[in-house]
Amino acid sequence: MSALRTILHADMDAFYAAIEQRDHPEWRGKPVIVGGAGPRQVVSTASYEARTFGVRSAMPGVRAKQLCPHGIFVAPRMDAYEAVSAQVRAVFDRYTDLVEPLSLDEAFLDVTGSRALFGDGPTIAARIKAEVLSATQLTVSVGVASSKYVAKVASDLDKPDGLVVVAPGDERAFLAPLPVARLWGVGPALQQQLERAGLRTIGDVQSRSERDLVAAFGARLGEHLHVLANGLDARPVESERDAKSLGHELTFAEDLTTADEVHGVLLQLAEMVGRRLRRQGVRGGVVRLKLRYGDFTTFTRQRTVPATDDDLVIAGVARELLAESWDRARGVRLLGVIAASLAPAGAPAQRTLFDGDPRKRGSLLQAMDAIRDRHGDEAVRRAGERRLTTPFGPDGAPEAPAGGNAAP
Amino acid sequence: MKILCDRTALQEAVNVVSSVVPAKTTKPILHNFLVRSSDNGITLFATDLEMAARVELDSVKVSKKGSVLLPARETGALLRELSDPTVTLESTDQRCRIESGGGNFVLLGEDPAQFPDEAKVKGGKRIEIEVGRMLRMIQETAFAAAREETRYAINGVLLDASAGTVRMVATDGRRLAISYATVPTKAECKVVVPLRALNTLARALSEGSKETLSIEVGDKQIVFVTGKAQLVSQLLETRFPDYEGVVPKSADTTVEITRAVLEGALRRSSVLCSSDMRVVRFEIGEQSLRMTADNSSRGRADVTIDAVVKGSGGSINFNPDYILEALRVCQLDTIRLDMSDDSMPAKFTLGEAFTYIVMPISGA
Repeated sequence: MSALRTILHADMDAFYAAIEQRDHPEWRGKPVIVGGAGPRQVVSTASYEARTFGVRSAMPGVRAKQLCPHGIFVAPRMDAYEAVSAQVRAVFDRYTDLVEPLSLDEAFLDVTGSRALFGDGPTIAARIKAEVLSATQLTVSVGVASSKYVAKVASDLDKPDGLVVVAPGDERAFLAPLPVARLWGVGPALQQQLERAGLRTIGDVQSRSERDLVAAFGARLGEHLHVLANGLDARPVESERDAKSLGHELTFAEDLTTADEVHGVLLQLAEMVGRRLRRQGVRGGVVRLKLRYGDFTTFTRQRTVPATDDDLVIAGVARELLAESWDRARGVRLLGVIAASLAPAGAPAQRTLFDGDPRKRGSLLQAMDAIRDRHGDEAVRRAGERRLTTPFGPDGAPEAPAGGNAAP
Repeated sequence: MKILCDRTALQEAVNVVSSVVPAKTTKPILHNFLVRSSDNGITLFATDLEMAARVELDSVKVSKKGSVLLPARETGALLRELSDPTVTLESTDQRCRIESGGGNFVLLGEDPAQFPDEAKVKGGKRIEIEVGRMLRMIQETAFAAAREETRYAINGVLLDASAGTVRMVATDGRRLAISYATVPTKAECKVVVPLRALNTLARALSEGSKETLSIEVGDKQIVFVTGKAQLVSQLLETRFPDYEGVVPKSADTTVEITRAVLEGALRRSSVLCSSDMRVVRFEIGEQSLRMTADNSSRGRADVTIDAVVKGSGGSINFNPDYILEALRVCQLDTIRLDMSDDSMPAKFTLGEAFTYIVMPISGA
C-alpha cells in the first residue's frame, strides 16, 4: 500500500490575479483578468470575482470581455510572478528537499521524511499555508494524500485557501463521488466516451475490474483509469534542481582575436545570464565557459563558485576560465556562458568579505534590470562591454538559439 | 669528517631541518640534509628550494673536519631508536658510519657538492619579537588562511609591520583573522609568508618562550632566527586584499559570552546542521544567545546560553566551523561578539590582540 508516503500538492489561488490585487489595493474585490487584453490573447488567470462571471483560464480575451465587460484587464508581469514564486518555493524548501514544481504556482512536495521533524502531513500543510501567507500575503490551497494524483485532486476541492486531507486508506471513498472528468487525462471527448459506457463518477470506474477496463478502453488507458481511480498512483515526486542550467551563447560573423573583444562579449553574456537568474529567482553554483574556435573545435571549462546571480562575479569567473583555456593564436568563433547547479535565490549563501557590499551590488543590479525592462537592453551598459545585438552564424543567421534551459 | 656528539641534541637538530625536507620531489638529493663541521661545531642544512632550515650545534667534538649528505628520514629514525647518550659519525666518501651502543650503521649519502647552497637574503629589515608571542600569532591566524581552490587561495599569511606594531593577517575571503604585537623596532614591511613556512616555524617554537625570534625581511625572502636555528622562506608575490577596509568600525549589538560555554553549545548545535550548507542561527535575546540548527531530514537543535547583551539584538547565521576553529586557539575566558545586521561582517574579540571577522550566511 502506498499509504506510507505523505505527498502534498500546493496550488496558489488565482496566482497572477492575486498578486495584481495584492499590489493594487484598489483592485481588491473586483474582477481582475490577467492576460486577454489584446484581440488574439487568451486569459492567463482570472480572479475569483471574475470567475463568477464565467471567465476562465485559457479563454480567448474577446470572450472574457463579453462575459465581464467591466473586468480589469491587466498585462502579465512575469518578473513579479517569478519573484513571488521563488519566495513560495523557499517556504517549500524549508520542509523537504523533494519539491517538484509543475509551474510558477503549483508544486508537489514529498514530506514523508520530514514528518518526524515537523509533524504529520496536515500539520506541515498548515504550517506551509501560514508561512506562504506571511511571506507573500497570498493564499495557497493544499491537498494532503498518499499519492500525487489524490493530493492534486484534494488541493482543488476547497479552493481558495483550502486544506483537504485524504487519510491513508480513504482514497477510494474520497474519489468515488467525483465526476470522471477529475481523472487525469480525461478531457471532454473521453468523458463522453466513458459516460456512454456508464461511467459517470470515479466510483463507477472503481466498480469495474482492471481487466474489464482494459477490455473496454485498451491496455494503456484501461490501466491508467484503474490506477488513478483507485488511488494507486505510485509516481515519485521528482525534484528538478540538480540537472538544470541556464546560459547564453553568441556566434560571431568574424572570429574574435583580441582580448578586449572577447572580454567585452563575456561581460555581455554574463549580464544576460545574471539577469535571467535574477528573474527566475535562482543562483548558479557552477559557472561554465564554452569556447569554439574558427575550426569548430569546442571546449567547455567550469568552476564551482559560491552560489551567485551577480553579473560581475559570473563575468570574472568566465574570464578566469578563458585565461586558462584560450589559445591566443586561434580566433574565437563562439562564446557561451552558462550557470549550472541552480538553486533558489532564497537558499542560504555564505557572504564574502572582499566583493563589495552585497546589498549595494544587489540594488545596483536591480536598478539596471529595471532600466532595461523599461527602456530596452541598450539603455544602460557597463564600460568595456561589447554589445553584439545581431550575432551572425555562417549564413547570417544565428547559429544556435541564444540560451534556453539546456543542460549541455 | 669525524664527530662525537650528544645524541639528543643531534636528534633535535635533525628534527628541525627535517621539517623542510620534501616528502615528494623531482630532485631526490633534497631528501638529504647536509652536515658541515668546523672548528666550533657542526651545521645542519636542508631545503626544498622554497624554504631552507639551518641549525648550528656546538655540543660536538670535531676530530676531523668535512661535510656529508645524510638521508633525512633514516637518520632521524635511527637517532630516535638509539639509546646511548652520545653517537659518533664518521664519513668517508659518501658513506657515513654511525657508532653507538646499539650497533654499527652505515648511511649512504650523496655528493655534498651537488646540494643547493644557502640563499643570501638581500635588503633585509629586522624585526625582533618574543618566541612565545610569535607562536601565538601564527596559531591565531594560520587556521583562517585559504587552502582550497577559491578566489582567495592565498596560501599565506600577511606580515604587516609599521610604527612599532607587527600584524599577522589571514583570510580565505569569508573570514579573516588578525593578531598583532608591539615590537621595539620601527621596521616597515608588508609581505605574504607561505603557510607552509609558518607551520614549519611554529613546530620549532616553544609555547610561552621569552627568547627572541629575529625576523629579517628581504625583497624575495624572509629569515627567522631563534637561538641556533634559522628558517629561510621565499615570500609569496600574491597581492593581499585590503583587510583594514573590512574590519567593522562600529556595531549595533555587543554580546559577551563565556568561551567554554559557547564552544560546547555551538559544537552540540552544529551536529544538526544541514549537510550541504552548515548553518547555525544566532539569535540575540535580552541576556541570552540562542543557537539553532536545522537539518530537514535528520533533526534540529535548539540551545540557549547566558550572555551579556548591549544593543538592539537581532539574529545572524554563521558557518559554525568558522567560529569553532577560532575558539580552539582562543585563550580568553570571556569573548565578545560585535555585530550590526545579518548581512554585515561580525567581529569576534578573541584575545587582547586577536580579532576575528566572519561573514554571515544570508537567506538561511
